[in-house]
Amino acid sequence: MTNNQRLVYIALLAAQAVIISLLERAIPFPFAVAPGAKLGLANIITCMALYTLSTKDAGKVVMIRITLATLLGGTISTFMYSGAGALLSFIGMWGVKKLGPSRISLIGVSVTGAILHNVGQLTIASWIAQTWTVLLYLPVLSFIGILSGIAIGIIANYLLNHVEKLQYYRSLQELNYTR
Amino acid sequence: MKEFFQMVKTWDIILIVLLILLSFLPFGIFTYQQAAQAGNDSTLVAVITVDNQETRRVPLTGNTETEVFDIVVSEHEKNTVEVDHEHIRIKSATCSDQVCVRTGAISKPGETIVCLPHKIVIEIQSTTNEPTDEEIIISS
Repeated sequence: MTNNQRLVYIALLAAQAVIISLLERAIPFPFAVAPGAKLGLANIITCMALYTLSTKDAGKVVMIRITLATLLGGTISTFMYSGAGALLSFIGMWGVKKLGPSRISLIGVSVTGAILHNVGQLTIASWIAQTWTVLLYLPVLSFIGILSGIAIGIIANYLLNHVEKLQYYRSLQELNYTR
Repeated sequence: MKEFFQMVKTWDIILIVLLILLSFLPFGIFTYQQAAQAGNDSTLVAVITVDNQETRRVPLTGNTETEVFDIVVSEHEKNTVEVDHEHIRIKSATCSDQVCVRTGAISKPGETIVCLPHKIVIEIQSTTNEPTDEEIIISS
């Protein structure tokens, strides 16, 4: 991958992620049981970035997504929530992916991302509300996080296996990794 | 479906189970704490705080009335709270996400309704009967 190709690819992924999170915000609340729960569709892009780019570049994709999604219709408090969630889930996903492809599949990576995103958000929420009982809400959110995480893992796996360019970038990335 | 089962690896399952257990951790600590301090005379009180400052305490145990009141944070930020017997809920709110309204009624100790845009927290606490005198002073 040349430098320009890499830059365009990062920008492309970030743009897709921003659009997905904006679309997701427009969907009115899919889960009646758990207020505040979201599908986390933008996690597809994070998964793809982790598997096709270096860690530094994947981090850039996540950062650009959070900043732009906030500028396009968020407030400073949503920025804090999604920022903390995204940071924690990115670190978790990166760590889990380190276990290697023979031990962990995309499902595990995306479920970890979904749950750690919830943990990060609720931690900030309980810090703002100054009562840690907000964390009691975690089991409900992580239950939904597991379901949507599995679905998103399957989607991302499908994309990685069937889109030709992604396959190519992934093999490039794995070559770099082993070298 | 077959493809799906081929995709799942052992560590996926281990991780998912670990994460489920982890998410129940705060719940476990909380019930442990509650069991330690639960006295015979404890009554439930809904404590309403706005921007970390306690504004109102509503005793819930033994309450048989229905009461509706407003919490006015500023001119355009208003939450309507309804106390119905031993349950409390936010009936309507002018906030953007409406998460507090969807949370519904709460009645058990430790449950919370949070309205983050208005920084309102309603928390149910269990207290012993003694400090009733102070509560009257605060709420008047």
